[in-house]
Amino acid sequence: MLEQTTVHTTHTNTYPDVVGALEAAPEARATTMPATLSTIRHWMVISAALFVILALLGICMRLIQGDVLPGEQSWFYPLMTLHGDGMAGLWFVAAMACATEALRKHVRASNAVAVFALAGTVVGVALLLVSVLVGRFAAGWYFLYPLPLHGEWPAWSAVTFLLSLTVLGATWLIWSLDMLRAVAERYSLPHALGWHYLRGESEPAIPPAVIIVTVSMIVNVVALVAGVVTLVLFYFQLLTGSPVDALLMKNLTFLFGHTLVNLAMYLALAAVYDALPAYAGRPWKANKIVAISWNSVLLIVLLAYFHHLYMDFVQPGTLQYIGQIASYAASLPAAIVTIFGALLLVYHAPMRWTLASVLFFLGLMGWAIGGIGAVIDSTIVANVRLHNTLWVPAHFHTYMLAGFAMIAGYFYHCGRRSADVDLAAESVGAYQAVILNWLVAGACGFLAMFYLGGAYSVPRRYAVYPVELAHGTAYALWAGAFAAVFLIAAVLCLIEVMASWRKEAAVGEERPAGHPTPIGAPAAAHADH
Amino acid sequence: MRTTSGRRVGAACVLALLAAAAGAQADPSVAVSRAEGRLLHRRVPDVPLHLADGRTVPLSSLWQDKPLLVTFFYRNCHGICSPFLAWIRNAVREDDGLGRNYRILALSFGEQDTVADMRSQGEALGIDDPDWLFAIADREALARVIEALEFWYRPDPATGQYDHTALLVAVEDGRVKRALVGGAGFAERFPVMARELRGEFIRSYAVPAQTAWRCFSFDPVTGRVSVDWGLLILQTAWRCFSFDPVTGRVSVDWGLLILGLPTLTAMTVTFGIFRRGPRRR
Repeated sequence: MLEQTTVHTTHTNTYPDVVGALEAAPEARATTMPATLSTIRHWMVISAALFVILALLGICMRLIQGDVLPGEQSWFYPLMTLHGDGMAGLWFVAAMACATEALRKHVRASNAVAVFALAGTVVGVALLLVSVLVGRFAAGWYFLYPLPLHGEWPAWSAVTFLLSLTVLGATWLIWSLDMLRAVAERYSLPHALGWHYLRGESEPAIPPAVIIVTVSMIVNVVALVAGVVTLVLFYFQLLTGSPVDALLMKNLTFLFGHTLVNLAMYLALAAVYDALPAYAGRPWKANKIVAISWNSVLLIVLLAYFHHLYMDFVQPGTLQYIGQIASYAASLPAAIVTIFGALLLVYHAPMRWTLASVLFFLGLMGWAIGGIGAVIDSTIVANVRLHNTLWVPAHFHTYMLAGFAMIAGYFYHCGRRSADVDLAAESVGAYQAVILNWLVAGACGFLAMFYLGGAYSVPRRYAVYPVELAHGTAYALWAGAFAAVFLIAAVLCLIEVMASWRKEAAVGEERPAGHPTPIGAPAAAHADH
Repeated sequence: MRTTSGRRVGAACVLALLAAAAGAQADPSVAVSRAEGRLLHRRVPDVPLHLADGRTVPLSSLWQDKPLLVTFFYRNCHGICSPFLAWIRNAVREDDGLGRNYRILALSFGEQDTVADMRSQGEALGIDDPDWLFAIADREALARVIEALEFWYRPDPATGQYDHTALLVAVEDGRVKRALVGGAGFAERFPVMARELRGEFIRSYAVPAQTAWRCFSFDPVTGRVSVDWGLLILQTAWRCFSFDPVTGRVSVDWGLLILGLPTLTAMTVTFGIFRRGPRRR
């Protein structure tokens, strides 16, 4: 649906939906232009469907490990491949869709590319499904060289898998480049990266989401080009039979994979930066600290992946130390700026706790917890014990569930805005509170089994645990049960999210009399509708 | 005072150099040719063997409790077989690891060879050790082993002899752990192989000038790395870092540039996209 919108570079439309936006608005030069086609609703439906399917596969994996499905053990590794690849990709595209939506009121992305991104992702996922479900490709989501070329699966399934990644990578690369182009149409590079804040200037006001998305898209190009090089080298070996340097391939694979999943979180954060102020009744402005922290991400996130190669003795030792330092440094923008920033935004604010804002807050909390797990694992002396134990899936599943919360929250937020509902009049209803409680309970139990398993040295990627690791079987069984609880709550939550788009949907309770209106400047709030 | 301090520094440097030299001695590197590299970790088929003492045993029984060194010969060879076996015998005696760290199998590929020929070969070499075995195998079984280990031979009708290579393969738990192909450098390389079979970690590097179109050529004599044709056409020798076995130094290689390629691409793309500046406000 094409819409008309008015675009300024002012506090009013930079920080719509918030108190004081109108008052802070200087004179603006207005232009009228068509807004970008919104594909958020399509992404929501695709993401929800894929999430449920892929989560079911994950539960199957834990049940196989828990010895509940002994007849399906041969499916463990294909399921692991599909679940891992699917969830990583799903998380990325959903976060990308949210970030694109968040930027719609600031920049104008290409409608054709938006549709192309949807179509390319669907084709890529279809190829992935064929490769795994028909060809039983089972090299894991890392597809670490040379395993894809030497497995027990047919060669065509490996080729299909690589083709799937090629389609997805090319699609996302074009999508990312278009986002950069859209930002470049509106802002200069120093402004888009917030460098003027470093000089002490406060104008033009740049939304934090723009800075985060610009940084993320630049890094994303690095990651995706690394993925392209990796795939080219795979094809090169397939065609010529000449081997490729394994250390190089591992470096490239993790430069691609590790960076991509990090960016998924950053993009989801961009959406939170965009939406959370609407519930806090305060703007979440960019400033010097925000600019420094997110610009530092440009460098840090590219070096953090070295922690995946701690066990590769041929990797020069210097890079291992760089990996540890970068992994620690990566937590600075997260912990200090974003999480404390969010806490300050909420503290003493006329906060409206709706399903969206609670999910945002839970997501940020999950990010903090997962981040601590990641920092522990990236410490070399700890990694010696934790490497390839269940601690690793523990921390990234914490991230993933945090991502689920943020993305589901943003879909809900978009739904309520699309339904023209006054966000100030909403709050968490009793039914939604029950769903949220079960969601948190299921997630905590599910994640605790991973963390406990890791702490007790249960290795990851074991389809069946030997007698010496029998405790791993018990953890897996409990994890399967908790995950089932989480999934049921997640499905109910997603139904609420879908229902939020209905204009007649009645959600939440009545606003108490005399409660302050957190969403000021209604004209600005709906400037992009 | 300054003199004393200078002496201390000098002594420390000498000690450091000695320690480095000792370290290098304790941790040798070995060059691995492409032919040898291809064999590494390859599974050796388990086939029945007819030993010189008349027993028939599976090949796998010979590597059950210790690594197995496998070589090929034929009894009537006028060429390298006997000298090569004698050389192995001498090297093994010098190493003193036979029976304790490994056993040896000399497997005949001669079509006419019999169990009796195996006994006579052992006697001719003066070998009487239960861990040094001579054996023949049925044609089909032999063909499987020869194919797995890429042992090359060809009958020469003019002489009734075989053209063939010299090969010594170390097998551990049914897989090739190290291989020596051809005769060059055996005297220096066998002790290193024996140390590896004792469980020591031996670093290895690719023999220079064997791979066409490398990006960089390494000269192990001078320790120099020079640009090769591969740099122009980007062939397979992409490594992040090159290891110089002579100096022990690690240097940046073409692979790192590939690793840097995504970053350079992203920078170029970003500056390209933002070059024109904002078109609308």
